[in-house]
Amino acid sequence: MLSNLLPRLMRTASFGLAVLYAAVLAGSVIIIGVIVYWALESSLERQMTARIDAEIQLLKEELRAEGDSELIEEIQRRNNVLGLEYLLRDAKGTSIAGTMPVLSPASGWSTAELPINRSGAGAQRTLRIHSVELDNGMRLSVADDYGSIEDMRRAWIEATGWCLIAFLLLSVAGGLLLSRGFLRRVDTIRITAESIISGDLESRVPLHGTNDNFDRLSLTLNQMLDRIQTLMEGVRHMSNHIAHALRTPLGRLQQKLEAARKTALGNPSYEAALENIQQETEGILSTFSALLRISKIEAGARQSGFSKVDLSTLLTTVCDAYSAAAEERGKILGADIAPSLWTRGDKELLTEAMANLFDNAIKHTPERAHINVSLYRDRSNIVASVADNGLGVPPEARDLIFERFYRLDRSVNTEGTGLGLAFVAAVAGLHGSKLSAFDNSPGLRIELRFDVAKPPNMLPTAPLRAYEADRVRYSHPVPTS
Amino acid sequence: MRVLFIEDDLETANYIVDGLRRSGHVADHAADGQDGLLRGLSGRYEIIIVDRMLPTLDGLRIVKTLRSAGVDAPVLFLTALAEIDDRVEGLEGGADDYLTKPFAFSELMARISVLARRPRITTIETILRVADLEMDLIARRVKRGGAVIDLQPREFQLLEYLMRNAGRVVTRTMLLEKVWEFNFDPKTKIVECQMSRLRAKLAKDGQPELIHTIRGFGYVIKPPS
Repeated sequence: MLSNLLPRLMRTASFGLAVLYAAVLAGSVIIIGVIVYWALESSLERQMTARIDAEIQLLKEELRAEGDSELIEEIQRRNNVLGLEYLLRDAKGTSIAGTMPVLSPASGWSTAELPINRSGAGAQRTLRIHSVELDNGMRLSVADDYGSIEDMRRAWIEATGWCLIAFLLLSVAGGLLLSRGFLRRVDTIRITAESIISGDLESRVPLHGTNDNFDRLSLTLNQMLDRIQTLMEGVRHMSNHIAHALRTPLGRLQQKLEAARKTALGNPSYEAALENIQQETEGILSTFSALLRISKIEAGARQSGFSKVDLSTLLTTVCDAYSAAAEERGKILGADIAPSLWTRGDKELLTEAMANLFDNAIKHTPERAHINVSLYRDRSNIVASVADNGLGVPPEARDLIFERFYRLDRSVNTEGTGLGLAFVAAVAGLHGSKLSAFDNSPGLRIELRFDVAKPPNMLPTAPLRAYEADRVRYSHPVPTS
Repeated sequence: MRVLFIEDDLETANYIVDGLRRSGHVADHAADGQDGLLRGLSGRYEIIIVDRMLPTLDGLRIVKTLRSAGVDAPVLFLTALAEIDDRVEGLEGGADDYLTKPFAFSELMARISVLARRPRITTIETILRVADLEMDLIARRVKRGGAVIDLQPREFQLLEYLMRNAGRVVTRTMLLEKVWEFNFDPKTKIVECQMSRLRAKLAKDGQPELIHTIRGFGYVIKPPS
C-alpha cells in the first residue's frame, strides 16, 4: 500500500512546494551558519592575539621590575598553566626556559604546525607564536594552540549539520503529511468526476464544512455539476419530447394508412401503394428511434442498469437465432465460443449490438460466404469477434463504418438504416470496450474487446481504493492492436 | 370485453376506441391520468391500456396505484420512448405487457387477445393439443399423428408459444419478445426463417398446414378448416 502511495504523494504539487520551501530554508540556514562562523572565528582569533600580547606585556613588566632570574622563574611557573606555551632564549639562541616545541621561531608573528605525538606521525596541531626581543637581549616567544578554535569549528559544523538534517527530515515529513491531506481531497474530487463520467449525474463532491480553499473549489464544482445535470436533463427531456412530438403524428399517419388499407381492399394497385407508404413510414420511424437511442446511449445514462452478463450464453443465443436466417441466405455460420466468460454490462444492449454485427455480416457478404463468430479470453480482455470472408472494407473506411449513416457502397445496398454499426459503437463506448475493424484477408473482422481488469461502473468509493484502482490500471495497460 | 384506454392523444384514442368497438369490445376512454385512475379503480374492466406520458398523473404511477389497490386486470403499457428503461419500469410497476408507440392497431389487438385469455388462476397444463399435433411439456416431446417430431430447443419454444395461444394471432414482434427475448427489431428475417423450418418439420409427411401466416402481420396456429 505504502509503496504505491508514496510515489503518488511525492508527485503532488503540495509536496513539490514543501520540498522547494525546505531547500530555500536550508540554503538560508547554511548562509547564516557561514556568516556566524566567520564572525566567531575572527573574534576568537582576535582574543587569542590579545591574550598572547597581554602575556608578553606582563612578562616584560616582570623583567623590568624583578630581573632575569625572576622572569625565568615566572615563565616556569606559568608554563602549561594557562594553556599558553613559552620559550625564552638567550642572545645566542640557546633555550633557557619554557617548553615550546618550536626551537627557533622567527621574530614577530608566525604560525607553526607540529605533530601532536613525538613520533611525528598522525594529527597535527597549529601554534600561533609571537616572538619579541627583550630589553636584556633575550628572546621571548609566547604561543597559543589553534586547537580551541578548531574545537569550536568542529562543534559548530556538527551542530549546524544536525540542525540541517533534523530540519530537512521535518520538512519532508511535513510535506508528505500536507500532500496526503491534499491528495485525499483531490481524490474525492477525482472520484466524483469519474462517477459522473460513467453516468452517475447525481454524484457531488463532499464538503468539509471548513470553508477553506478546497471547500470553495468543491462548492464551485458542485454548482457546475448542478448546472451540467440540469442541462443533461434538459437534453434528455428535449429528446424525449422530440420523440413524443414526432412519433405521435407519425403514429397517426400510420393508423390512417392502416385504416385506409382496410377500405382499399379490392383495389390491388391502391392497396400496394398504401402498403409501400406504410413501409416507408415505418422506415422513417425506425431510423428516428434508432438515432434517439444512439444519442441516449452515448449520453451514458444507462450504466446504472449494469449487471453481470454471461457473454458466452449471450453470443450463443444470438448465434442460434441467426443460424436459420444465415443458412437461408446461403451463408455458412461457424461459432467458436469459449464458455463462462462474464463482464459487467447491459444485457439487452449487448444482445442488440451483437445481433447488429450478425445482421451486418449476413447482409454485406456474397452468397456462400463464411461467417465466423468467436469469443475468447486474451489476457485481461474478453474478445468477441464476427469475421467474414466477403469483400471486406478498404483500410481508409474501416473507422468510418462505425459512423452514423455511413454506407460503403451507396449504389448497390440500401438495406437497413445505416445506423446498425453506429449503434454497436455507442454500446461499446458505454461499456468502455474497444470496437475495431480489421482486414480478415479476405473479408472483414469486427472485434469488440472488453477490458475485464477495468470493468465499467466499478468505480472505487473511498480514496484508498482509488490507489488500488490506479495500480490495476498501471499494471495492466490496454494492449493496442 | 370491457377495455379501458387511458391516452391523452385524442386522435389516437378515437381511432383505437373506435376500432375496439368495431371488433365487438366495450371500450371506455380516459383522457388524463386522474380520470383514468378513478375509472380503473372501479374494477369494471377486463383489460386496461395505459399510456406512459399523461397529464396530471403519469402511466407508471397509475399502474402502481392500481396494483396496490388490488386491481388485477391485465395492464398493457404504452410507451412512446422505445426505451428499455421505460419498459422495465412499466413491467416492474405491475404491467403485463408493453407496446411501443406508434403501433399498428392489429398489433394492439393481437396483444389484447393474448393478455385477456391469461387465466386468473394458472392451471398447469402439461399437454397442449392442436388438431393431431400434441406437445408434451414435461417430456419436452412433440408428436403429430402419433409420430415424434424432432425439434431444436428454439423451434420447441416457438411452437409452445404458438400452441399456448392457439387460435389467436401472434405478431412477429411478440414472437421476438417472448421466444427470443429480443426487445428490438432484427433487420434479418430470423422469425420467418425459423418459422419455415418449423413448418417443414410439422408437415414432413404432407399433412395439412397448421401454422397460418397472416400476411405482413403475424402467425396463428389452428386446426385446418
